[in-house]
Amino acid sequence: MIALASLAGLLRRSRKSNSQERINRRWAAGRLFRAILPAGGYVVALALLANPAAGQDQTQELNFDNIKPVPVFTTGVGFISTFQGGTPHLGPLVSPVILAPLGRNWLIESRDTFESDLAPPPGGSGFKGVLKKEVDYLQIDYIANPYLTVTVGRFLAPFGIYNERLYPIWIRDLQSDPLILPIATGPSGAGTGAMLRGGFSLNPRVEVNYATYFSTLSTIKRLDSNRDAGFRAGLFLPGPRIEIGGSFQHLLQDDHSNAFGFHFEWQPASTSLDLRSEYARSHNGSGYWIEPAYRLANAPIWRHELRHVQMVARMQQFFMGTQVDGDLPGIDTNMFEFGLNYYFRDDIRFVSSYGRQFATGGNENIWTMGLTYRVALPMGHGDVQ
Amino acid sequence: MSARRYATCGILAVAMALFLVAGAFAGNDRSGAAAANATSAAAAGKQDEPAQRIEGERRFRANCGRCHQAPHKFPPRMMATIIRHMRVRATITDEDMRLILQYMTQ
Repeated sequence: MIALASLAGLLRRSRKSNSQERINRRWAAGRLFRAILPAGGYVVALALLANPAAGQDQTQELNFDNIKPVPVFTTGVGFISTFQGGTPHLGPLVSPVILAPLGRNWLIESRDTFESDLAPPPGGSGFKGVLKKEVDYLQIDYIANPYLTVTVGRFLAPFGIYNERLYPIWIRDLQSDPLILPIATGPSGAGTGAMLRGGFSLNPRVEVNYATYFSTLSTIKRLDSNRDAGFRAGLFLPGPRIEIGGSFQHLLQDDHSNAFGFHFEWQPASTSLDLRSEYARSHNGSGYWIEPAYRLANAPIWRHELRHVQMVARMQQFFMGTQVDGDLPGIDTNMFEFGLNYYFRDDIRFVSSYGRQFATGGNENIWTMGLTYRVALPMGHGDVQ
Repeated sequence: MSARRYATCGILAVAMALFLVAGAFAGNDRSGAAAANATSAAAAGKQDEPAQRIEGERRFRANCGRCHQAPHKFPPRMMATIIRHMRVRATITDEDMRLILQYMTQ
């Protein structure tokens, strides 16, 4: 009822502040979107009705009118060697990102990944593998107002926190993916369609963030995605630095199944601890991971050296569902990992980890070691003229 | 896909969008007040720049540190692009974005 009353107020304000022709144009735009994206069109049309003029007023209050954003090129580079079950793998990876701002409220962004898994062929010598190429995302963002951003294109599926926030090689503290990552993220971790998202403060102690999306089926190589719809919502408490949230997805193809999940993050201000965890469940399986990471910033001895060191651990379990997904483990699996990272700078680090996987088909050790690097460059003058 | 499921999905999408838009505008007054407070705080901050810097750093640590280690500072125009990207990616609030940008370009 509150939402409906607020919507009525919104419509009244719109009538006062906008001409009828303007409203008609927006409805025409809405009809066009409905023709292109049958279900997602409704969402985008409503987003356009969210009175961007109000957002512009807010934007003009910001104090960076004289800072004109410049396109940015940034790349994550890594070389990770893995020993899994006694077999060595070499994993080079390059992941370029391009950010192109347009005007005050637009942003075009894309990320591609080029990687390979080089391993000795059976009975042979040397390392062989193929180069895998993927468009992770290629999206246009429109910041409609302080509460709403409209995204169209290919985007990372906002299910849980790992796929969208923690996946890049220079961000992740452990180089292996969580076992439950493929749940509800589709064949490529991305969707193709439209998304509404944003974050705003309820009060000084609580912030809300949300993302809701519709993705259409795509079988194009390197741009594949499922037809599905879903949302994620989270509450962030800036004081204790805690975020809790949940995700839901409904598959609009095949067996029309549902998936849901929860996430929790905590970074206490008094110490250099990061605690992250996720739970996810679908008909393909369910599971969770818990990952604490601690930076030795306040070590009592050798502080100058130890402040570059980060210790990480991850415990996770996966339980099979009623249907088998090729990207998920084929059997119930438990796994524990411990990692040690050394930050030469904030953008260059040495990473290493040891993990033990326990499964009914056999247990195995997993060792990783490598380097990750992130570079960011302005494509123009970076300083204010 | 049957017509019934199609209609159900459409209704769900509309209801979800209505809820989000209405909820956002329901909080408009509060947020407007918050923005006014932030603006007055910014004006006061010119007199008390260290306090503003501390607040910016606090927002920076709380928001950016949720996902990755704190990066070094970038040139202002570059930082304006990156913070716009992070606003979308990490769904940080408008006020946080402004304060973090101020802090990172000082």
